Amino acid sequence: MSVTKTQSKPATGTNCWSCQAPVAGAHFCTSCGKIQPLPPGTDYFGFFGWPQKLTIDPALLEEQFHKLSWKLHPDNFVRASEEERNLSLDRSSQLNDAYRTLRDPIARIEYLLLRLGLRKEGTTKQQAPPELLEEVFELNESLDELREARAEDGDVEALRGRLIEAQNNFKEKLSEVDAELAGVAREWDAALDASASDASRNALLTRMNEILNRRSYIRNLVASVQKEMEL
Amino acid sequence: MGRTVGIDLGTTYSLVAYMDPQTGKPVSIQGPYGSALCPSVVSVDRDGKILVGNPARARLLTNPDRTIYSVKRLMGRGVADIQDELTRFPFRIDETSGNVIRVRLGDKLFTPPEISAYILRELKSWAELHFNEPVDRAVITVPAYFNDAQRQATKDAGRLAGLEVLRLVNEPTAAALAYGLHKQKRGHVGVYDFGGGTFDISILKLISTTEGDIYQVLSTNGDTHLGGDDIDNVMMDLARQAIQSSLGVTLDPHGDQIQNLRKDLIRAKHELSSSEKTSVQFVAIEKTAILEFTRADFDELIDPIVARTMAPVKLALIDAKLGAKEMDEVVLVGGSTRIPLVRKTVGDYFERAPHCELNPDEVVALGAAVQADILQSGVKTMLLLDVTPLSLGIETMGGVVAKIIPRNSTIPASAQEMFTTGVENQTGIDVHVLQGERELAKDCRSLARFQLKVPPGPAGLARIELRFLIDANGILQVAAKDLRSGGEHSIEVQPSYGLSDTEVEHMLEESIEFAEQDFAERQLIEARTEAEAILTATEKAFRDPRSSEISAAERRSIENSVAALRSSMAGTDYKLVRQRIDDLNQATTNLAEILMNSALQTALEGKRLDDV
Repeated sequence: MSVTKTQSKPATGTNCWSCQAPVAGAHFCTSCGKIQPLPPGTDYFGFFGWPQKLTIDPALLEEQFHKLSWKLHPDNFVRASEEERNLSLDRSSQLNDAYRTLRDPIARIEYLLLRLGLRKEGTTKQQAPPELLEEVFELNESLDELREARAEDGDVEALRGRLIEAQNNFKEKLSEVDAELAGVAREWDAALDASASDASRNALLTRMNEILNRRSYIRNLVASVQKEMEL
Repeated sequence: MGRTVGIDLGTTYSLVAYMDPQTGKPVSIQGPYGSALCPSVVSVDRDGKILVGNPARARLLTNPDRTIYSVKRLMGRGVADIQDELTRFPFRIDETSGNVIRVRLGDKLFTPPEISAYILRELKSWAELHFNEPVDRAVITVPAYFNDAQRQATKDAGRLAGLEVLRLVNEPTAAALAYGLHKQKRGHVGVYDFGGGTFDISILKLISTTEGDIYQVLSTNGDTHLGGDDIDNVMMDLARQAIQSSLGVTLDPHGDQIQNLRKDLIRAKHELSSSEKTSVQFVAIEKTAILEFTRADFDELIDPIVARTMAPVKLALIDAKLGAKEMDEVVLVGGSTRIPLVRKTVGDYFERAPHCELNPDEVVALGAAVQADILQSGVKTMLLLDVTPLSLGIETMGGVVAKIIPRNSTIPASAQEMFTTGVENQTGIDVHVLQGERELAKDCRSLARFQLKVPPGPAGLARIELRFLIDANGILQVAAKDLRSGGEHSIEVQPSYGLSDTEVEHMLEESIEFAEQDFAERQLIEARTEAEAILTATEKAFRDPRSSEISAAERRSIENSVAALRSSMAGTDYKLVRQRIDDLNQATTNLAEILMNSALQTALEGKRLDDV
């Protein structure tokens, strides 16, 4: 590994660092063709030239990813100037990060919430869905019983059966939550199209955030049962 | 600027290849022994002369204390990491080794990158001989599962060998490149690369777009110390036991007898790929033991090793979100894939016959040559999108690792993390960067520790942003920015393994003592030698009585050419010497013909006409 200098980004604004022609946020200067830095504040959606809408056609995303990879990849800049090589490294890593994030529907929503300030980097909250509290309680009981039975060499099979049932139950709940999330995501897109007010948009974001927290919780339950079953 | 080549720096064999501009196909370069395979063995003579390849391998049997094989197993690792290896390989590790290993060969110490550099230099000279031009740039391949330190060590080796390393390419990806070129196929490809010391599995997607072909790696997994060497070692264990019990002989693990045995066992291993049984003879003084192996015995012996390769295969498929049956093609790479049990296991698992039409020993070097050509010529019809094999993380409170770049992220990949002080008047922020999938820092691979120095102040005031970037070689670069001032922030780095830049610089300076002469010097010596030969021939021609048949003007012209050639030999321009050799050849053409004809006449005069 090595330590490098922070990329001294050329003077931002709208002019090409090489030939001074106006660039308006494009990947490459239309005049001299040199690779350009990303304008500050561009998010992953903007990288592909898209609005912050949550419905993305996976085939289109991949197509754009490939097209931009051809242009931005460091392989193209092996014999170019150091400035261009550094920019290519920056840009292609941003492209790859953007593709990785936008490709997964959940990561996409999490990213949007992060950008718009509803989530803080590195904190994932979990929220126990109130209507499931009783089932969660039962599940935790079953898990404890299983652990005990295993430790004392007791009858594990019957307990496993109950756990598998509970796990399937929660997996179903997970699909329901995912469907709910997808619904709100579509509402969000519609709100953008209709230039809805800040208030109604914030309400949608808050709802998505809350659903994500519930989803986290259920996913962890399913995962912990899975872990227990594999022992 | 010299030529560019592709190099497979393997555990057991290394190769160099280039793209033939006429055929548009990659070609491997043969060495002086008529093979493209250079054994990755280095030996040091008593006078410090370095031997590489076949001559070095012969030294394993006569001077094992001055010879080393499988040095790739030591690259980018510290002494603590290789304790297990030491029980199976006769590496002579010096006690001054710490995070950089120092190997003793004879009475000198070498680091693994230095030893690898000798192998690279040997391949470089093969290529230079082939092209009759200098070679100064290369694409070098590494196992996909190599971590940051192992990659950096490989890059250091390239630098020490006088090569600009254009790119490090993952071995399975290189193989896919060579294979794709060969077969023009599209779809999902699994590359199973079982070499001498490392195992890699990569799952790729090959796509045709309007711009050209994309080789996109979806996932990769592997084991950087699992390979044919391990098969050799289990055979050795068995053989040693048998010899001990039947002959009462205990073999010295660092001696030459054991190297002989190893050589024979490897031969037996190769034979078992095509025969159902074979035997090895071990001779001690007055006693002989014959060890017999059947294919069935062998399969049973190596089954656990082959089974170990399947775990990374399963993990790679899970990460790629694909099933074994969804592979359109499976490609076998590496000498160890010649073993029938390996082919059967892989074929059964993927439910299809794996491909091995391309020579499994050469395919990686050929792919490296293809990539070298792409980078150096700028002709873009193929694009390689590779991934980082290991998650990158930072140690947080409680020794837990927070992953910032997940494994199998397409590279280049980046992440930013913000750091601040937790306590008032804290003047240093410590950052520990690691690679690996485990939860706890102690179970992951330490890459480096940083210290960010900050002026004393209230807790939380300092805001330093670290930008982590994994480049196209899979090597980490770090830059720090002070968010409050917007300027660069300095970092003190302590890499956990490997040579620092200053150490490499120092080695480059020192290596001039040991270095083979560089290309130009060698050319000069060869040219001077040829010049001597032609000058001697010319003098001899002048002494021949028949040379009086040439005109005085011609004689003067020859004498001038001779003088010009002699004067060029005193200089250092080899091209000029060659030019003057050509001039002298031309000047003496007539004289040569006269002498030839008369010689012929003399010879003919001694025979009767009807004998001719």
